[in-house]
Amino acid sequence: MDEEEVVYLTITYVVALMAIVMASAFKAVSIVVIAMAVFTMAMLAMINWSDYVVFPAVTKLLGITFQPAGGYKIISDQSAIVKNAGGIFYATGYVTANIFAFTFKEEFVEENVGDQLVQASERWERAIRAITFPFKFHVVSASRDVQKVREEIEGKRSYQEFQLSRAQQSGGTSESVMIDINRKMRITQAQLDRISQGEKPISTLMYMETTAYGVSEKAAVDMLTTQINQLQIAFTSFDLSLERVQGREIYTLFNFNFLLPVDASDIASLFSQQG
Amino acid sequence: MQTKMMIFFLFFGLSFALLIAAVAIPPSAIGDVLRLILVALAMLFDMLALSSRFYTYMLLPILKQRKKEIVLTEEAAYWLSSTGDSTLRKEGEEYIATVYVSIPIYKSSTEMNPEEKMNFSMQISRLLGLSKSPVRFTTEMYIMNKDSYIAKLRDTITNIENKEIKMSQDNAGGKEAERVHGELAMWRNMLDSMTSASSFELASYASVTGKGFKEYEAIALAQQKASELMAGIASTLGVTPSIVTGNAILKFIEPEYLIPLSTITEQINKNVLNEEVA
Repeated sequence: MDEEEVVYLTITYVVALMAIVMASAFKAVSIVVIAMAVFTMAMLAMINWSDYVVFPAVTKLLGITFQPAGGYKIISDQSAIVKNAGGIFYATGYVTANIFAFTFKEEFVEENVGDQLVQASERWERAIRAITFPFKFHVVSASRDVQKVREEIEGKRSYQEFQLSRAQQSGGTSESVMIDINRKMRITQAQLDRISQGEKPISTLMYMETTAYGVSEKAAVDMLTTQINQLQIAFTSFDLSLERVQGREIYTLFNFNFLLPVDASDIASLFSQQG
Repeated sequence: MQTKMMIFFLFFGLSFALLIAAVAIPPSAIGDVLRLILVALAMLFDMLALSSRFYTYMLLPILKQRKKEIVLTEEAAYWLSSTGDSTLRKEGEEYIATVYVSIPIYKSSTEMNPEEKMNFSMQISRLLGLSKSPVRFTTEMYIMNKDSYIAKLRDTITNIENKEIKMSQDNAGGKEAERVHGELAMWRNMLDSMTSASSFELASYASVTGKGFKEYEAIALAQQKASELMAGIASTLGVTPSIVTGNAILKFIEPEYLIPLSTITEQINKNVLNEEVA
């Protein structure tokens, strides 16, 4: 959770909590008020952590479509952008392609990175040979200051060491908490080791885009779904998180054709939900 | 950012005020119904407040337009700059220019030994860390536009067909008629094989964005970033990158440029034919 997220969530939870605290003032209908407040709190949690599920569901239910620019339309379930050119409908959809495991979860520096680099180009060619429709593979990247990143990670490691020593001193800390702290420390150490080995820290965002056509909007969107499924199958050999993009990210990715974020930190803040 | 915060506090304030108003109404049969409505509205505005963090662009037009087809903007997504080497867009008071740099890579892993493959992957890794400001690297696979070649084939076939008709009118026979007949069959086969399957092209390019309060400022900044990037690409990959200009930019933006119209027409005709046969 980043600071902005904490602020938004805390402030909005205040109203719901106030409703629960003041429920006694509503006398006969206090139970209904509490129920509404609890429902709101659940919805706030859902909006915060999975807005890409909530909002497309609402717009689909209400049949709301959006025009992000002249000639384009975001369909009601916010999974595709459709353009009608000369009576032919073109539906464009996006799939995330981030290397989650490598970047965030790996606890040890892999020893066979060399083999992976040798196989990468072959795997790529094998994957695209299986694709029989237009597609794009995008990597938005920005290099980061090595020293700054090193300091950030070292700061994080110091905090984790402090957490570990405090947990050891308190005595009552459960084993699962200790395991979790140790795991986090190994991840941090692995990140430091990578930088020490000369790896350059880069902020990246990877995604794929494909376009399908049809004589009607439905035909184009159906064909797009088939193409996206094929893309996901073709790239399974890579260690990628392949998820179809829905919701606000589709609008952002559409805009990436015309404007990129100016700062590398914007990349992370724009894609906090689907990566 | 300021607008986003203002909207957040507007929704939050409304939510808070409605809740207080609901508490202030004295209890009675009608009063209770009114209180519940106010509490429900307070909760709704509370949810809208949180949603405004990411969905301001969508929430305001929905509330303003109150219809099913929400127009976020009527304007075109971009326009080409007068210099023809960048796309432009206006966001608030700022102009945003995007420059596209073509990266001509003609290498395949099939013709590389393991060491070359490793080096190539390392080069790509270095490529991604070239710039401190965000760069978008793209590899695009699109259907080749064979329209002009197919038109040429059709012209040739028509010419030979006319020749064949003339020969049959003149009652010319023998080896020459056989040759023309064979030539016609050859060109027809060629046309069939050309239209039977799509051919694909693979292109790689990078795009960078520059912002400015004047069009020329934004373009100059984007061009400067592109020049720096091109120098980096040239030294890393050993290729000669170039700035994409004119209509060639559309191939990287517009969906209809990924699939030629003739391919679509051909495919639709085939589908119709298959349905009729079935």
